[in-house]
Amino acid sequence: MALIEVKQLKYRYPHTDKLALDGIDFTVEKGQFIGIIGENKAGKSTLCQAFVGLVPSMFRGAYGGTLMIHGMEAAKTPVAKLCRHVGLVFQNPFNQLSGAKETVFEEVAFGLQNLGIPREEIIRRVEDNLSRLDILDYKNRNPFDLSGGQNQRVAIASILAMEPEVIVLDEPTSQLDPQGSEEVFQVVEALKQSGITILMVEHKMEKLAEYCDKILLMHQGRQIAYDTPERIFSREDLDQYGVEPPVYTRVCKKLQIYREAGDQKEYPVTLSQTVEKRDSFPETLSGREIEKQGALWEEEVSKEQEELFEIQELDFGYTSRKLVIQSLSLKLIKQPTAIIGQNGAGKTTLVKLMKGLLKPGDGQILLNGEDISSKTVAKLAGVVGYVFQNPDDQIFKNKVIDEVMVGPLHIGMSREEAEKKAREAISLVGMTKWEQENPYDLDLSERKMVAIASVIAMEPKVLILDEPTIAQDIKGRKLLGSIIKKLSDKGVFVLAILHDMDFVAEYFDRVIVMAHGKVLADGPKEAVFYEKDSLSTARLEQPHMTRLCEALGYQGIFLTTDDIKDKGRE
Amino acid sequence: MKQLFKTKWNAACFVLIPACIGINYLGKLFASVLKLPLWLDSIGTCIGGILGGPVIGGICGAANNLIFGFTTGDSITLVYALTSLGIGAAAGIMARLGHMKSLPGALLTACVTGLTAVVISTPLNIIFWGGTTGNIWGDAVFAWSQASGLPVFLGSFLDEVVVDVPDKFITLLIVFAIVKGLPRKLTSLYDIDDEVVSLD
Amino acid sequence: MKSISLYVDQDTFLTRLHSFSKLFYIAAAIAIPLIGGGFHLYVLSLLLSFCLIAAGKIGKRILPLIAFSFTIILTVFLIHGLFNQKNEQILFTLGPLIFYREGLLYALKIGLNILNMLLAFAVLVLTTRPAVLVDDLEQAGFSPRFGYMICSVFQIIPQMMGTMNTILDAQRSRGMETEGNILVRARAFLPLISPVVNSSLINTRERAIALEVRGFDSKEKKTFLQDRKLRGADKRFIAFMAALLFASLIWRIRVWL
Repeated sequence: MALIEVKQLKYRYPHTDKLALDGIDFTVEKGQFIGIIGENKAGKSTLCQAFVGLVPSMFRGAYGGTLMIHGMEAAKTPVAKLCRHVGLVFQNPFNQLSGAKETVFEEVAFGLQNLGIPREEIIRRVEDNLSRLDILDYKNRNPFDLSGGQNQRVAIASILAMEPEVIVLDEPTSQLDPQGSEEVFQVVEALKQSGITILMVEHKMEKLAEYCDKILLMHQGRQIAYDTPERIFSREDLDQYGVEPPVYTRVCKKLQIYREAGDQKEYPVTLSQTVEKRDSFPETLSGREIEKQGALWEEEVSKEQEELFEIQELDFGYTSRKLVIQSLSLKLIKQPTAIIGQNGAGKTTLVKLMKGLLKPGDGQILLNGEDISSKTVAKLAGVVGYVFQNPDDQIFKNKVIDEVMVGPLHIGMSREEAEKKAREAISLVGMTKWEQENPYDLDLSERKMVAIASVIAMEPKVLILDEPTIAQDIKGRKLLGSIIKKLSDKGVFVLAILHDMDFVAEYFDRVIVMAHGKVLADGPKEAVFYEKDSLSTARLEQPHMTRLCEALGYQGIFLTTDDIKDKGRE
Repeated sequence: MKQLFKTKWNAACFVLIPACIGINYLGKLFASVLKLPLWLDSIGTCIGGILGGPVIGGICGAANNLIFGFTTGDSITLVYALTSLGIGAAAGIMARLGHMKSLPGALLTACVTGLTAVVISTPLNIIFWGGTTGNIWGDAVFAWSQASGLPVFLGSFLDEVVVDVPDKFITLLIVFAIVKGLPRKLTSLYDIDDEVVSLD
Repeated sequence: MKSISLYVDQDTFLTRLHSFSKLFYIAAAIAIPLIGGGFHLYVLSLLLSFCLIAAGKIGKRILPLIAFSFTIILTVFLIHGLFNQKNEQILFTLGPLIFYREGLLYALKIGLNILNMLLAFAVLVLTTRPAVLVDDLEQAGFSPRFGYMICSVFQIIPQMMGTMNTILDAQRSRGMETEGNILVRARAFLPLISPVVNSSLINTRERAIALEVRGFDSKEKKTFLQDRKLRGADKRFIAFMAALLFASLIWRIRVWL
């Protein structure tokens, strides 16, 4: 018998009419690595919660079919018993802490204490798992003082210490910076080697393709397919399910490099599979044509008449001892600009200074030639718009439309005008359908769009976005890309802090690399993404496409799959 | 009657209580940051009562004062643990009776919780500080009542009314605005009589 | 992370003492004057507390606590000294204010009582880590779920306070004023509190999931990481306080006889 057997699983949340899970049916053998993919709200998280029995025991609602794990029926086994066999790790690293323990050690021990495991055994298991996840050094630290990536490892250690046979990972890296994600992926890789059965929901398809034995493709609660990564990602209909195959598959699809498997085409899905097919690739590819670079580009920036921001010798520190921003000078003109760098590089601090939320320690920031320190935040509100990372820090109205109208009303628009602007902004972010809904009934990804709309509605000349891509799926990212493009075309200066290099490569012109409060590199993306030294000092990676083309040995500049022209085939 | 006090003792309730106590604390903090002449320190207790029922509300209230009393050295707070318990339970009962669904209902709830607070606090004030409350306006009323020869308990009662009732009115109005906006996904966690329906 | 607890992390006689001994101390220190009656027993209790505070090296930390209770003590003195209905004998006058002996004596008693409670609690509060107090309670049979609840408060509040400044910034970014006349400030309250309340309540959903998958509802007997039993010093301390309590009882009975 297989370790996990899911048969015709159906589930509906209370007070809703639509099935969140509708006829899920698959089996998992011991030691397999299963990926679960699909757009937001496809039912992936609900399925994960069904594995630990929280659907339906905690959320109730309506349930049908069976989910058998290790001979136990998940719906009928108490969660406290099931949790010895199945562990669950989810997105938000802080919310999955017990929230009551003062040290990492106690946090990891918490579950074991609840299960009444003997003390010596607890101490052994905790120590083992802390060193396994390389967090033994943080043993006596308060988990809330750790970074997201470190905390996510604490969460995984807490689950592993309970020694489950199956571990379910529900997008464990979606809310982490690249460094944190990498830490977690390394752990996942090590887990795969250890032979534990893993189910993982993830949007980073390149990673899934590498790890998975099989992938479950879901859409609107239904199971579309359950197959090997090669067969899943070779499907031609992925677009309609809001899934984008790994960059390797996309490139190979473009160049029609595949192998015949029966009557189906199978495209490579991993880097190594792609590199193996090197012989089928064209000898050379021309890549992206660069318009301006180096000195030419700098000349353009300085001659630009409408110089928007001029930052001069800026210093800033939250305490007098440590400077977060150090003698930073920048000139920004109206072109979509991305700031990249690890957490703690000073990116958010910099944009907060530009918004006037913080006052410079030394130096000054000029906006259209005027020092912004002479203006209050409320006065700047209509000119510089800033969308915070977490939409939940601002939403307080019960209707999307009311929430979006708050800003416009504050800056003195009339009700009619505010409503008009709000409607336009809501339609721009694609939320018109939910205009009358309660924002908190929406997903995090949708709430982020509401927050963006609430700033756009004020019609600022500058729009600052702080990590807008977090929690967005492919659809959301494409929508964001189109918003950035439309606003830029309308003459709004868009400045974004981003962690997703592929997204930067696709939608931005200028890239600024930051680390330790300094600018390491600044210029057009075609140049910056090839400044390997700066990127590695900032501990950032090139876009996937860039790395792939380098692995294939192509000369030239490649940032997105569009840079491969079909004519390369000739 | 059984329905009125029915309480679920699951993890959701045990995480609700600390969150509510945190909300109390922040309410008080924001009120002082904005220099408002109110306490607004029982918003969380009322939310706890409304979501989890009178028992959870009472626990939120009592635990709030006990925890702060025993760890932040504010032993004056400790004395009023019973009052907070009453506030949480009263808000919970009123919500279970269906009064928190409309604005008039919320105002009625405000009256009830306010009076509950007054009735419990008055004897405590008399026992511990001879009738004063430490609030300048309330104590002015008390001073006036004593000067004009009213009995201590009546003076203290009036003192407490002046202090507590306006505060509870504003509190319940805020709570009403917030609770109305809570997502179904969350409130359904605290529904008391949902069973799992079979889809087979 | 900033803690809301007043616990001072140091190694003294008091921090080593079992939290139950200190709880017993609070009960005894408050009960002794009440049982025995009379002002000198208040003085005795206060002296005891002062000795312990000095021994526990927490003298500096109690000043803000006393300052905090000062206003309430002051109002008690003013109101009862001036208006207490048993007032007969004039003690002194201060301009137009006439203070009476009866009211002031009554106020003195209340004031001493407040001070006594405050100091007795300070002995516990400043020398006991909340998590240790909870652990002690749980080992004595207190429900671990309620124990969880208490510990959680100490982790949650600093976290919520951390979001406070972000929310202030986020709302100011959208042009909201937080300063001005009372109406402006009052209007700012809801946009500030609402996001914290909503997000912390929404977080409870995920936290509940986190607890469930860590066996929170398990029926097994919880394992403790440390055994905490009453030691020799604790027993001697409790015996001493019990003796004092007993003595105050005798004192009271002697007065009756």
